[in-house]
Amino acid sequence: MVKKIVKFSLYVLFFLAAVLFFIPKVSLYYLAEKELKKYDVVVSNERVDDRGFTLSINSANVYVKSIKSANIVEINIKPFLLYNGVNVKNITLADTAKSFVPLKIEQLNIEYSLFNPLNITANAKGEFGELEISVQVVERRVHLELQPSKLMLKSYQNTLRQLKKTENGGYVYDKVL
Amino acid sequence: MTKFSNGVYLSTLTKLLVLLVVAKALSLVLWAYLPSEGVELSIKQNYQPPYQRVDFKNMILTTKVVKVKQEKSITGINITNMLLKGLYGNSSKGFVILALKSSPKKSSIIGLGEDFSGFTLQSISSRSVLFVKAGKEYVLELEEVKNKKSYVKRVKKRVSVTAVSTSDEPNSVSRKDIASYAKNPKQIWRDISIREVKQNGKITGFRVNRIAKNSPMAQLGLQKGDIIIRANNIELKSYRDALNIYAKIDKIDTIQIVVMRNNQEQELVYEIN
Repeated sequence: MVKKIVKFSLYVLFFLAAVLFFIPKVSLYYLAEKELKKYDVVVSNERVDDRGFTLSINSANVYVKSIKSANIVEINIKPFLLYNGVNVKNITLADTAKSFVPLKIEQLNIEYSLFNPLNITANAKGEFGELEISVQVVERRVHLELQPSKLMLKSYQNTLRQLKKTENGGYVYDKVL
Repeated sequence: MTKFSNGVYLSTLTKLLVLLVVAKALSLVLWAYLPSEGVELSIKQNYQPPYQRVDFKNMILTTKVVKVKQEKSITGINITNMLLKGLYGNSSKGFVILALKSSPKKSSIIGLGEDFSGFTLQSISSRSVLFVKAGKEYVLELEEVKNKKSYVKRVKKRVSVTAVSTSDEPNSVSRKDIASYAKNPKQIWRDISIREVKQNGKITGFRVNRIAKNSPMAQLGLQKGDIIIRANNIELKSYRDALNIYAKIDKIDTIQIVVMRNNQEQELVYEIN
């Protein structure tokens, strides 16, 4: 009996892996782009590669309301059903944002797992410092925790004033979407 | 080989192959319903010549003035005998205050299109008026501009207030104000609130929803309710268009803004000093 269950589980895993491998990830990405377009967000000039189990997007320019807002060197999407992740590397924000935040973001990782289905977590690291983000899906609550860099503390006090200072020198921001 | 073909392996391999085929079939069905191409930013590269302000009227009027001085009126009153004491309006509406040099205290108010000693008032600019008589054009300048400083000041003030809608002369805006906005962009949003105006899903301009009194933005002549539709000859059909102009602000000396106010287009022109 146990042998049968194990065998069946292996078949299921094999089937899921096959689905993940064959699923048209590029087309799904195009669908996501069309959804983003509804919010005036366009990812343009990017190179999209289906790498079997993951999807890689390189050299993407992000436009918000037709204004160039960021350049992203690499995005890696891992749609593993039980665990889904997006890794973004080397984001350069447009000059228009330089009054608010430093422009270079080294990496941004977004994770969603079925083992923690009610939360999306993310973290980012860049010239601004280190940022931890959590989104409570049901309550639509966003919580940000920032450990600002020296540059951020020195030159972007106006932005930091929008956040709440914590005892450990960090800053938090909460918003319900 | 015999063992393989008859054994568990073949059965397992067949099942795996079936699972692969089913997975592939599923992905093909999904693929058929998903979009086959992504979204790319398309910007219409309509060439629009850069804005240049050329005062053709002045160029033409200068030559006319020379002509005027040689002209004599049939009735005995020529244009040089007239005094232009005041003016209000533009090329399409307004009035002027006229008198004869022989009796300067006896003033007459002449509306646009009306006659004064055979001269028909054709148009009004900021410091002069244009008369037509017998098919010829005559320009009469505001005499007080040269003679009375206090009067000049008053006229200038009035012109700057009405400049928003009537003046042909560009006003000036400080480059320092622009630089201070660049350093502190939040100040822009404290001073002004704009929102796009859409028709059939396309942006046709930007409506001024709020503007702080005495702010540099208000001094530009913008008013609440104005819809900014064009700047320096560029139709504002996206945030990108608006931002492009702001990005080039260091390189331009004149800015022209066309707004819709009370369903009429009005042009605001500023020199950046």
